[in-house]
Amino acid sequence: MDLSLTIGGPQGGGIDTSSNMINRAFAEAGYNVFAVREYHSNIKGRHSYNHIRVKEERPRSLRYPVDILVALDADTLYEHMDDVVAGSKVIYDKSFESGDLSQARLIMRDTAKSIKGRLQSENLPLNVIGAIQHMKNNGAITIAVPFDAVVNSAISGGTPTRYFNTLGSAITLSIAGLPVNFTSEAIKQVFASKPKVVEDNVKVVEAAYKYCEENKLSGTTLKSFPKKQRLLLTGNDAAAIGKVMGGLRFQTYYPITPASDESTVLEEHETLSLIENEKNSLEKAGVVVIQTEDEISAITMAMGAALTGTRSATATSGPGFSLMAEGISFAGMDEVPVVITLYQRGGPSTGLPTRNGQSDLLFALNTGHGEFPRIVLSSGDIEECAYDAMKALNYAQRYQLPVIHLIDKNLATTSDLIPEIDKSRVKIIPALSVSEKEDFLRYNLNTENGISKVGYFGKNIFWMTGDEHDELGHVTEDPEVRDRQMRKRFQKLETAAHEIPLEDRVQVFGEKDADLTFVTWGSQKGPILDVIDDLKKEGIKANMLYLKMFEPFPSEFVKSFLSRAKLVVDVESNLLAQASRVIRLETGIEIENAILKYSGRHMTEDEILSVAKKIINKKEKFVVEVLKNGA
Amino acid sequence: MAHNFKSDVVVDWCPGCGDFGILTSITQALTEMNLGGEDVVAVSGIGCSGKTPHYLNIAGVHTLHGRAIPFATGVKLANPNLKVILPSGDGDLLSIGAGHFVAEGRRNTGLTIVLFDNAVYGLTKGQAAPTMALGEKTKSLARENIFGKVNPIALALSSGYSFVARGFSFDMKQLKGLIKMALNHKGSAVIDVLQPCPTYNDVNTMDWYRERVYRLEDEPSWDPVVTKDNADSAAMKFQQAYQKALEWGEKIPTGLFYQNKTIPSFTERLSQFVPNYLTNPPATQVVFNKDHYTVVDPEKTFSDKIID
Repeated sequence: MDLSLTIGGPQGGGIDTSSNMINRAFAEAGYNVFAVREYHSNIKGRHSYNHIRVKEERPRSLRYPVDILVALDADTLYEHMDDVVAGSKVIYDKSFESGDLSQARLIMRDTAKSIKGRLQSENLPLNVIGAIQHMKNNGAITIAVPFDAVVNSAISGGTPTRYFNTLGSAITLSIAGLPVNFTSEAIKQVFASKPKVVEDNVKVVEAAYKYCEENKLSGTTLKSFPKKQRLLLTGNDAAAIGKVMGGLRFQTYYPITPASDESTVLEEHETLSLIENEKNSLEKAGVVVIQTEDEISAITMAMGAALTGTRSATATSGPGFSLMAEGISFAGMDEVPVVITLYQRGGPSTGLPTRNGQSDLLFALNTGHGEFPRIVLSSGDIEECAYDAMKALNYAQRYQLPVIHLIDKNLATTSDLIPEIDKSRVKIIPALSVSEKEDFLRYNLNTENGISKVGYFGKNIFWMTGDEHDELGHVTEDPEVRDRQMRKRFQKLETAAHEIPLEDRVQVFGEKDADLTFVTWGSQKGPILDVIDDLKKEGIKANMLYLKMFEPFPSEFVKSFLSRAKLVVDVESNLLAQASRVIRLETGIEIENAILKYSGRHMTEDEILSVAKKIINKKEKFVVEVLKNGA
Repeated sequence: MAHNFKSDVVVDWCPGCGDFGILTSITQALTEMNLGGEDVVAVSGIGCSGKTPHYLNIAGVHTLHGRAIPFATGVKLANPNLKVILPSGDGDLLSIGAGHFVAEGRRNTGLTIVLFDNAVYGLTKGQAAPTMALGEKTKSLARENIFGKVNPIALALSSGYSFVARGFSFDMKQLKGLIKMALNHKGSAVIDVLQPCPTYNDVNTMDWYRERVYRLEDEPSWDPVVTKDNADSAAMKFQQAYQKALEWGEKIPTGLFYQNKTIPSFTERLSQFVPNYLTNPPATQVVFNKDHYTVVDPEKTFSDKIID
């Protein structure tokens, strides 16, 4: 099975809960899900939707068209009328049929104009009937369900609209062929703490299944499997868990989308349960999470905590990261171990606050004034978010510098079912420290590898200054000391490049001697892996150079790999093809082709595939394609 | 033997600078409190005052302009056993760092802020600082000051600081006493220290201050401290402090304006949510076992994320 479905409705109308029900129901039956959330920067009313892909194996991307479209409002029918094709099923509330396009006031003005144009070009009425007819003309099966009546058959009194999201989800699951017991079990999990809510929603689920059976809508019963995956996580969740496992005990943040959720998860789980046989070392522990007055405070407060020996981090998005620039520069100069998890979203400025972006790569590499070493790494799927968060804390401790961990919005809010996180995959590396009360030189120049020993506030006396400093940490403007301290700081990057395994910096997936090589980073990893499989089925050999660490950059490997590649295409969610620029700077190699998307939406398997085939078939030298799919 | 709190770094402040009195008051206060060098951390911002940590033989960090407060808050929250003192200037704390100054009043973390108040930006050659009066014309200004003046005492009271005082850098006996009280206070303290800048501020000179300052504690009825036993007097004492904050001109009060011992510190508030926070804070927590793996059980900690 490979099922794609979209459930859409007004922001604040329970779309997320719907998605959670559907994800958990399929998970209960042993399937894997990959669920993406798209929403406006708005609290209530504007169009939001979840796009979910379900497979027995783990799905790694989205694809269009969708098999089932569930509309919890009329806007969804307009917004997604081109996402369905012959055989797709469209479910909506019968009462929407009276709606006119002009009444759909929360559709963006330009989107409405485009919808109007499409309906007019087919001589269809500018209303819901028109949108439905458009989908029917394309072969979709449209199903009008009297939402009110079905809910009322299950529950008397109350507000039926409150159950529309459960109803829509249950009808979807019934049409998909998932037995009712899995759906009811999912309801119990989603509303675990509210027995009355569980009871009512289970009744609605049963009524929905009954309705589908009576109207011959139920799908062929799906097989169920033993559950393989254990954790249902978003990228925000995974990074939070990874940080805790990596020893994080102090996190700061200033509220910003899509980074805040990570800190909220940490706050919700600030009481840590310890492994049974470790309890003698520590009875109970906790993570301190502080909402600061701004991002300047967030970075500097995390640095202050770090100087006591606490593993510390902060999380933000582009606009907040801008404010952190001065702090990051200080961390570079003073060799403060601090992790900044940078959730990229569409910029510049406030940009697309709730949509995806990968346009902060060059900024992450150049943030701050002056020259200083830093480590910049990036994650490309939910599991990586967790393991990389652990590693980021290690790098900060080992090399005594700021570590910027790039995650994009696609990963932040995508739900994925993953195996349990294996603690034995990442050892905790402590900093090279002096003993308590020992006199020492914090910026000792006499090192093999640029790494001087550290001491901690509360244990040792030492000094730090944002000015250039001598070995004790006192201000100096001595030209010779300046030169030696600059070299010592940068030597740490060489040490890091030597010590960090290559597979943590760059990876290759796919075929040897490929006809087409993708170069990418971040959340495109999943869709491209799927595209490589698709191309293989068509007899085309493709592979992917997947970048994970941009500083220190694996220049030699990238250079030798790309100089042997036949046809290279760079795939990124930005306009400037920023990773291409880094590669050109680091290796001198210019990548000829690019598939780019900066609409803020996910890149899907189908759209990358179609361009990839075009690039292979077209023998032109330069191809730059900008992708636009997604509502 | 008592720890020597004076470092051997050459002090490069101008002769006659009010900073010297503050530095001496700090070292004397720390010595008299019988503290060890590792018990106290100094965190400063930028400017002449920002150099103070280098002149103290305690752990110290000379941070970014305006950022001493969040930096110090991180130190204190990660290790609440430390005493954290912030020698920083009026420009640093009340202009670029004003947002942090207000936020720290709301937190009441337990910092001791020593505000070096000379009404000018010394190290950048005498520009007007936020405590300089409107219309003032010092020799370093090209034209008279066109900004209004912030009132540090009133701002500290309004922001929620639970210990608000004013010192004068040439009254080291009083200042030393205030610093000791502030370091023993569980909430955050602000001591606004009036100090002349002999190089750039030829209006608010040592003599100008000497003619005006008087000690609040010399008034027999002055009682600014709110305790559990007299908590109902808090509003009255706050108002009385505010009235004294507005007194500026012929007479300028120094001493303790207000101290409220009943407001829980931020570290106390955190301890309600974070297990064993005060006895085993982040700085002392063990995070890995002998094999270098986490001591946290992720399955139990994040059990709500598991599909069972």
